[in-house]
This record gives sequence, C-alpha cells and structure tokens, in this order.
Amino acid sequence: MAALRQIAFYGKGGIGKSTTSQNTLAALAEMGQKILIVGCDPKADSTRLILHAKAQDTVLSLAAEAGSVEDLELEDVLKIGFRDIRCVESGGPEPGVGCAGRGVITSINFLEENGAYDGVDYVSYDVLGDVVCGGFAMPIRENKAQEIYIVMSGEMMAMYAANNISKGILKYANSGGVRLGGLICNERQTDKEYELAEALAHKLGTKLIHFVPRDNVVQHAELRRMTVIEYDPESKQAQEYRTLAQKIHANAGNGTIPTPITMDELEDLLMEFGIMKKEDESIIGKTATEAVA
Amino acid sequence: MSVPVEDPKARNKGFIEEVLKVYPEKTAKKRAKHLGTFEDGKADCGVKSNIKSIPGVMTIRGCAYAGSKGVVWGPIKDMIHISHGPVGCGQYSWASRRNYYIGTTGVDTFGTMQFTSDFQEKDIVFGGDKKLEKIIDEIQELFPLNKGISVQSECPIGLIGDDIEAVSKKKSKEYEGKTIVPVRCEGFRGVSQSLGHHIANDAIRDWVFDKSDGTRHPFEPSPYDVAIIGDYNIGGDAWSSRILLEEMGLRVIAQWSGDGTIAELENTPKAKLNVLHCYRSMNYISRHMEEKYGIPWVEYNFFGPSKIEASLREIASHFDDAIKENAEKVIAKYRPMMDAVIAKYRPRLEGKKVMLFVGGLRPRHVIGAYEDLGMEIVGTGYEFGHNDDYQRTTHYVKDGTLIYDDVTGYEFERFVDMVKPDLVGSGIKEKYVFQKMGVPFRQMHSWDYSGPYHGYDGFAIFARDMDMAINSPVWNLTKAPWAA
Amino acid sequence: MPQNAEKVIDHELLFREPEYTSMFAKKKSEFEFKPSDAKIAEINEWTKTAEYREKNFKREALTVNPAKACQPLGAVFAANGFKGTLPFVHGSQGCVAYYRSHFSRHFKEPTSCVSSSMTEDAAVFGGLNNMIDGLANTYNLYKPEMIAVSTTCMAEVIGDDLDAFIKTSKQKGSIPEDFDVPFAHTPAFVGSHITGYDNALKGIVQHFWTKEGERKPVPGKINFIGGFDGFVVGNMPVIRRMFDQMGVDYTVLCDPSDAWNTPTDGEFRMYDGGTTKEETMQALHASATIVFQEYSAEKTAKYIGEQGQEVVALNHPVGVTGTDRFLMEVSRLTGKPIPEALTKERGRLVDAIADSQAHLHGKKFALYGDPDLMLGLTGFLLELGAEPVTVLSTNGNDGWAAKVQALFDASPFGKGCKVYPKKDLWHLRSLLFTDPVDFLIGNTYGKYLERDCGVPLIRLGFPVFDRHHHHRFPIWGYEGSLRVLVTLLDEIFEAIDASTIVTAKTDISYDIIR
Repeated sequence: MAALRQIAFYGKGGIGKSTTSQNTLAALAEMGQKILIVGCDPKADSTRLILHAKAQDTVLSLAAEAGSVEDLELEDVLKIGFRDIRCVESGGPEPGVGCAGRGVITSINFLEENGAYDGVDYVSYDVLGDVVCGGFAMPIRENKAQEIYIVMSGEMMAMYAANNISKGILKYANSGGVRLGGLICNERQTDKEYELAEALAHKLGTKLIHFVPRDNVVQHAELRRMTVIEYDPESKQAQEYRTLAQKIHANAGNGTIPTPITMDELEDLLMEFGIMKKEDESIIGKTATEAVA
Repeated sequence: MSVPVEDPKARNKGFIEEVLKVYPEKTAKKRAKHLGTFEDGKADCGVKSNIKSIPGVMTIRGCAYAGSKGVVWGPIKDMIHISHGPVGCGQYSWASRRNYYIGTTGVDTFGTMQFTSDFQEKDIVFGGDKKLEKIIDEIQELFPLNKGISVQSECPIGLIGDDIEAVSKKKSKEYEGKTIVPVRCEGFRGVSQSLGHHIANDAIRDWVFDKSDGTRHPFEPSPYDVAIIGDYNIGGDAWSSRILLEEMGLRVIAQWSGDGTIAELENTPKAKLNVLHCYRSMNYISRHMEEKYGIPWVEYNFFGPSKIEASLREIASHFDDAIKENAEKVIAKYRPMMDAVIAKYRPRLEGKKVMLFVGGLRPRHVIGAYEDLGMEIVGTGYEFGHNDDYQRTTHYVKDGTLIYDDVTGYEFERFVDMVKPDLVGSGIKEKYVFQKMGVPFRQMHSWDYSGPYHGYDGFAIFARDMDMAINSPVWNLTKAPWAA
Repeated sequence: MPQNAEKVIDHELLFREPEYTSMFAKKKSEFEFKPSDAKIAEINEWTKTAEYREKNFKREALTVNPAKACQPLGAVFAANGFKGTLPFVHGSQGCVAYYRSHFSRHFKEPTSCVSSSMTEDAAVFGGLNNMIDGLANTYNLYKPEMIAVSTTCMAEVIGDDLDAFIKTSKQKGSIPEDFDVPFAHTPAFVGSHITGYDNALKGIVQHFWTKEGERKPVPGKINFIGGFDGFVVGNMPVIRRMFDQMGVDYTVLCDPSDAWNTPTDGEFRMYDGGTTKEETMQALHASATIVFQEYSAEKTAKYIGEQGQEVVALNHPVGVTGTDRFLMEVSRLTGKPIPEALTKERGRLVDAIADSQAHLHGKKFALYGDPDLMLGLTGFLLELGAEPVTVLSTNGNDGWAAKVQALFDASPFGKGCKVYPKKDLWHLRSLLFTDPVDFLIGNTYGKYLERDCGVPLIRLGFPVFDRHHHHRFPIWGYEGSLRVLVTLLDEIFEAIDASTIVTAKTDISYDIIR
C-alpha cells in the first residue's frame, strides 16, 4: 500500500476553497484514490458537495451532546459520499464564542486515535480562511499534512492571505515536514490575473499548480449540492478539475519551503502589474470630496 | 560577634557573581538586576522587581488567579467563589491557605469548599457562558444562604473570550440584585500573584462598592470605627490583631478579608480609619476608599512586641486622647507576658541568622519579630514585591543585607549553601529542600500549620516555633557518626 | 489574658478562650448580618434529606469538592519517575507552583519542576520564545539528563505545538540536538491527573522506543507500569521485592519512589533514582507489560500493544485474590514459578484476615477516589466480608462503573451496593446522610465529610496532607494488603473504644481484649 498522503487546502474565506477542494478530491476519487475529507471550518461546509447535504453531525456538536469526545464512536461522525469519499466535519461554535481553533485540535486528535486514517490514500484538510491561531495550524503540524495548497485569485486580499498562510507554513516547515504544494488560482477575471498568480507563486518559492477558469457550471452544480465532476462529468470544467487532481497526485514530495514576502514587496508586485498605482500614495486617507478638490 | 560592615557587602558580591555564573548570558544579565545588597542611606534595596519571571528557572511565584481567588476573595466566607475553568486551579488552592473562619460550612459559609465549573473540552470550544449561568442557578438552589458569588477566571476564560461580566449582570438582575462579581484574574495576566490582588481589589470597587448603596446592612456608626485591611486570618492572625484594637477602644467593623463577610465589605466605607497590614495586596482598595470616601489609611505591623507597640501608638494617634491612653494601657498589660516570652526564648535564639523569602508584606514585616528575639536577618527578598515594597524595606533591613527578588530555586539553594543561615523562612516548595540540607526551616506563608503570629498572643507562638525549628535535636542527627 | 509564656497556647485552644469567644460573638451579631441561627440549622438539616439529595443529583453544571486534579499534575508525577528528569510545564507559571506545593504537601518532600512562564504576550503570539529560553535555562541551571515537557491549559487553548517548538529550540541552540526532550500535550480540560500521567508516560516511552528502533523480543522479560499512585514510595519497593523473589527480568517504567523519598543528611538531591534512559529503551524488547492501574495508562498500553508486546491491564489488584491474580499473571508471562516465600507471605495475610474477620464482617463502607484504586479496594473489602455500600469516583466513567458493578454482582456482600461514576464529594455528602455507612475511605478532603456526616475517615488515597508518612508504607502486594487491613481494623477498634469510653455508662464494653 502506498504511503498515506495528507494534504490541506487553505485560502481566504469566500475564495471558492471548498468548491475547489471538493471538485479536485472528487476527481482524485475517480482516479481510484480512497479519500478522507476533514473539514476544519466551523461552518462545516467542506463536504457539502460530496454528501449532497450539509453535514449535521459534526465531531464537536456530537461530542458536546455526548459529554466528551471520548464518548464518540467513529461511525457517529464519518459519512460516506460521492465515490465512497469519507467525510468528517469538525464543526465548532457560533461566530464570536468559544474557541474554534481548539475544536480543530480536538477533532483531529479524535480521528487519528480512532483509526479514521486507516485504509485511505488521501487525507485532505479543508481549513478556514486564515491561520488565526495555533488551532488552525493543527493540520500543518508534524505528521499531519505534507503539502499545503493555497487557493487564491488575482484580488489583493486573496494574495495577501496567501502570503500570510505561507508565513504560517514557514513557521512549521523548518522543524517539521510540511511544505507548500503550490497555488491554485480560481479565476476572478481581474487584470492580468494569470501572470500575477504566476509572479506571486514565483516570489513565494512555489508554483502556480493550476489556473482554474471561471465557469457557470460550477454554480449550477453547487445549486444541486454536487461537484461538477458528478453533476456534469463531461463538461470542460470537470476536465479542469481532473487536470488539477492529476497535477496534485503527481506533486508528491515536490513541495517547497515557502519564502513569504513583506508587505512592501507585495505592494510592489501589485504595482508592477498595475493593480495598485504608484501615485495612489497621494490618495491615501482622502475622502471623495477631498479627492475631487 | 558582629561582622564588619564592609565584609558582608564584598562577600555578597562574590555570592551573587557565583550564582550568576551558571546562567546563559542573556539570563544572567536579567537576573543580575534582581540580586543585590542593601546599602544604608539608599531609597530602595537596589534591585529591580515586578518584572516577568524568566522561563525555565524555577520561579517560586504563582499567578493572578492565586492572588485573587487564593488571597483576596477566597477568605470572604459567606460568598461562593467559583473557580471558573478547568478543575486544577481550584483543587490545588482548596483550603490550603488556612484562612480561619467561623461558620457552618456548606450552609452559611463556604470557605473550605471547592466550587468549580470543571471545564471540559466542549466548554472551551463552544464557550462557557451558558454553563456559568446554570452553575449560578444550581448554587442558588443548593446553597440558598449564600450571600454572594464571585467568578474567578482561570486562563482559558480570557483566551476563549467568554463574557462573564454579561452573565454576572444578567444573573444578578434575575436574583434581585444579588452580589455576583466577575473577576478577570486569568493566570497569564501580569507577572505574579500581584496583579491578581490588584484585579481583585478593583472588582470589589466595581462590583461591591459601586453596586451597594450602603443600606443593605444598616448599622449605627461610631467615632471609633476602623476596618482591618489586608489580613487573611491565616491561623487566626486577624483575630489576634482585632482583639488588641478592640481592647484599645476601637470598633472593628470589617475584616478584609480573613473571616470577612460581604456585609463587612459593604459597610467599610463608613469606617473612620482603615488599618492596613498587607500593603502589597490591598493598598489599591485603601487608596480608593481614601479618594472616594475620604477614609485615611495607616500601615501597621503586628509582628513582635516592638513593632506592635509602635503600631498601636501610630493607630491611636488618629484618635482622641482616650484611645491614646488605652493604647498605652494595652501595651502595659501585655508587656510582662512579652518580657516573659523574650526571657524564655531569646537566650536560645540570640545571634541566630535568618534568611527569608516570602510574599506580600512578610519579607520586611517579620524582621522586627526576629530582632525582638535577638536574631539577625542576613538575607531577604520578595516573591512578587514592587519597588514601593523595596522602599519600605529600607526601614527594616540592616546595611549589608543580601537582597534577592523573585529568587530562583537554584539561586536560593546556592545562597543558603554559601551564607549558611541558622534558619530559613519561606514556603512549602522550599521547605524540604533546606531541611534535606540540614537547615532549620519555617514556612512563613502558612506559619507551617501553626499561628497565629500576629499580635501579642501570636508572638508567643512565633517565638516558640522559631525555637522549636532551630533547636530541634533532629539537626544533630543528619550526619551518620561513621560518615567521613 | 489568653496567652501564656510558660505554656504557649496554640490556635486550636487559644481561640476557645473567653476573650476570643466573646469577641467572635460580637463580630457576628454586629457586623456579619448572618441568617438567624434557626435558619442556618433548618437549612443544615434540609441538606441531609432525600429531597436535597435529589436536587443535588440533578446538578448538571456545578462541581463541588471534586476528587480529581488536572492532567499536568499527573504528567509531573510521570516525569519524576525517570532518572535525572526535570518536568517542564509549558504555559502559565502559577500552575507549576500549584503542582509543586500539592506534591510537597503530600510527600513531605521537595518537588522540582519548571515552567515556561507564559504571560499575556505569549497568549497572543504563542509561547515559542518561552520554550526556547526556558529549555536553555533549565538545561544550564539544573543539569538534567532529560527534560519532560507537558502543557497547561493556556498553551493548549492557544494551540502551541510542542513538537515543532522543541525542534525549533534545538535548531536555535538552546539545548543540544541529541538532548532528550520527550513531550506530551496535557490539556487540563480533558480527563484528570491520571490522563496526564498516561499522556506523559506514553510521550516518554514513545520517544525512547522510536529511538531504539526495531524490537527484538526477549522472552520472559517484562515491564511494569504502576500508574498514578499516592503510595508509590511504599509500593514500588514491594513490587520490586516480589519480582526479585520470583527472579523476574523486569523494568519498572516510571518509578518516582526514590525521588520522593530522599534522606535528610545534609544534601539536597534534586534527582534520585528513577528509570534510566537505557532501561526505558531496552523495555521495548520485553515480551509483555503489566499495567497495574488500567485507567492510568490506557493510551500507553495501547501504544505498547501496537509494538507487539502483550499488555496485561489490571485494576489495582490488592488483597488476597487481587495479589494472587497479579502474581499469577507475572508467572504466566515470565514462566517463573511463584516461590514458597511468597506463598507463605500470602498465608500470613490470610491468617491475619482470619484472625480479624469477625470485626470486618458486614461493616459498611463508602469509598471514593481514582477509578483503579476503587476497583482494588472494592474487591478487597468484599473479600473481607465487608460491604462497599457506596463507591464513587469523580474521574471514573460509565465503563468503570460497570466493572465495579460486576464486582458487586460476583459477591453476596455486594448486594445492594451502588457505584457512582462522575460524581463529587458534595454528592457523596448527600449519600452519606441518606445511605449511612460505618466508615469512609478517601483522601484528606474526606475529613469534611467526617465532620459533617459523623463517619470516621480512613485515609487511603491521594492526597493525604493531614497525616504524616502514610505514603511511606505500601498498600500493594500481600504486604501492603496487610497494612490496609490493619488500617481498617485500627479505625474499627478506635470507633468501638470511642463509643464505650464513658465511665459508669458505656464502659462495660471498654474491653482490653478484642
């Protein structure tokens, strides 16, 4: 049996991270890979397209009901979806209360101890937008994900987040085995998006592993709570995800230690591609009226 | 035989250099600022204080929770103090501080009980506010005679962002204005217990004084009303102090907080004078009462007859002649007993050298009591003192006294090994280290399960205990006769 | 004047002097605004009723007087059982002050342990720098052979990663690359001190076994894991003696019995005794491991089993049949027969029980404590013909309760006995009023129940703060069981004497021979 591959998808919220990851994993499943998805976002929507439903029974909600996580059985939280993909959602508190990060630690410990990783080829962690605290870094600790894929776009905030996530990875990369697998750019149709993504990948010491074009079929599939792979397997978009899946599959051991850049460097990069203009300096802090005057 | 003044200073310098040798450079540099020798005429003891302890050095300090729950709030006997968070903090501090009180425990008083929210993982992940609400309801049902509740935050509370203030307000309203006090004393705040004292003082100001109109527990004021502030009644200390104040004609309307009640706290703003024993832990509330209610405060020291006499006179000086005369009468009444105690123990203790390392007021306050017995303090230091403590210490220590702030386990062991005192006074964590070394030891936090040590009655016990420690025959047995 | 220079009066008598009692009365009546004495008495009586008990047992959120501590305490215990090892707890420093005090109050010994002293800034930015500096200082100052790291709940909530932190510290040169720093995450909000013992022990064993590499089984060689044990100082020598008498090739994994039993001879030993690194590594090759207290080593046992060893998990087997079972397991695993000397020792214990059984028969006990200790003592009490009417554990779960129930069901003396998992001493207080017993077995905190409920307390548990040196004597093996027997009997005879001591009234039964 091939060694277990553990990967993780990180990215700014709203970037299409869950959609991308589920489509890619569905394509991997098509290739015959046995897959476990561990949703690490308190919103618990990392497996919705695989299960055709939002997972209700998250590890943490069930543990809270039962008293403690020790009272849970793996069967209680493990759901089987499209092409036998195993799905677990960590779950977590409502926004603004408790500690979602600790929830991620609890869930992953529970899954490991109860043999959820036995007999699968891939474990994929789908993690909340930013590495806000140690808990959300759990999937990149030693003996967890070996490669991180950052889902981003040509928008400034998405690139900013990608750089931040690289910083998080770097922190653990020196002592542990975690590497940056590459960037996945979800097309937003911003100016020179592909070039910008390539350039950022270069700066971060990694590669743009795939550029996923925008296609309405994704929305159509989402409305049906399905991946494109399942909803319209013959579509061009499905083929895109298959290509991405193959690239990731072939990328084992090719991850790199990222070289995150400073804010200034990031701004320079944006300026280079005309996303931000040099003379913008003068408009900082000015209201609309002031700008007109 | 007295040692020339120059000698101890030079000697101390050597000792300090010696202990610093083993530290990594960065740490040695930091620790050097906390070690020194007192020089006559200086305004403080020449050491830095109230700075973060260095990781990995075995500091003796505790945390803000210990300062709030363990010291200030815990002894208030008719309230229930919830250790809010995981089970440990409340467990380790359960009834271990010997704050004596009178009451039917579990019914109208709750001092030696451990109330905890026993946080589980789910409480961390989903937040503990709902649990806290339920806890308060359950307390109200099962302990109907409780007069108030305090919520003592442990580390996780502040980290997960629970809103214990909102819960406290809501529940207080639901229970007709019941005193419910949220205390933000998470253990990671500040550098020691000390910030916990401050936070606890502020919580009394904001959640007891500011919520009370002073009419809930009505009483007739008198011109001789005083409150004892900063006495935790360890082994009964506040009682053996109170008895003297009352004998001199004063009326003690409140004890803060040993054997104290919520009614006493609420009525303290009616006092004419606050008498403050532990300056470190309760100067904050004393200053507040001075500003807001115009109540003057005076520090006193009830360890040993010399300091007791001076303190009684100082306190009396704030009152009329009748009280001043009474103070003299009290001093005269107890003098024969004190003389007898000193006559009995001084010959056995004369010239013995003592090293102290304690918290609060003790690193300076107990010095007079030792000196009354003819003993000499050769080294002292504060676990969590501030610079104002070291300033106050200058009146107590002799030129050339070795000073060590926030001493580490290593330094203390080495200093004792080099200075070779006849007695060490410190805490439970240190006790057995020095006894193994064959050095007599007394715990000076818990009075080694003895006490009281305050007041005249306490001094007799203090003298007896020091004699017992130093002159125990066991110290002659530590070396096997056949050992080289 | 209450005090007296000739004969100094201590607190327990001083405050009974009239000067003080009148002062107390005045304080109470003028300033305390207490409920009336009648009201206090009324509520006090109400707390003894079945109605109160029902309310009390409906508690869902509040815990009152629990009989458990938190994980890192157990981690410090485990670390202390290895030679030259300094426990290092990553997180708030106050916690470490508490663990050290707690152990010192029980063992009357120093307990060395350091903290990484994390404060508010570390709460925000993580405690990596505290780890880097802390390990360097610990290493230089206290010259340990090994530093065993565990965590407080602060570090756990913010999610500090020990593995990465320790590796980074080594890269930054705070300690040598090859210096042993086993670690365990020990969140205080999961399980109890026994869980922490388990996690820390697993961390240490796994660290050295990974280093040792391939397992080459040695037939007949066994490991022994004792679990968290307040009587460890007395117990370990008994275990070692029995192994030696059997000629067993054994390793005790985690033995703090010397560290907490150092002489007063002029020298402070920061480290003494304990399992060596070499022994720990070689323990990988044992054919089997005996775990004396299953609930103290669940994860460790699982890990050891996965390495290919047979693991025998027991539940604090004491008394005659308990010790029999233990020795027979040792014999089975090692192929060594149980020698005559031990058989004779067994016979002496049976002899003692036979001599005294009349005094034990049908005596009712309530007991509380760690889950394995409860199973062991329940079994022993049943064997003595006593009735363990109430068995309670704060850190025992439903699975544990089923095991206790099975013991009840297997003995006529277990009829009507009840087990209470996940309950605290305030629950027990209600039970002692509604289901009275003759004696209570527990730790020092049980004295409050002794006072409130009038049940004599027998101190067999952790911690024992208010009696000296009990921990120096064993409760394991035939030898330890004899000591338990004598402890029970002493209390029973004391109780008879106390109830027959009034002249011309009860002293007809104040017998000199019993």
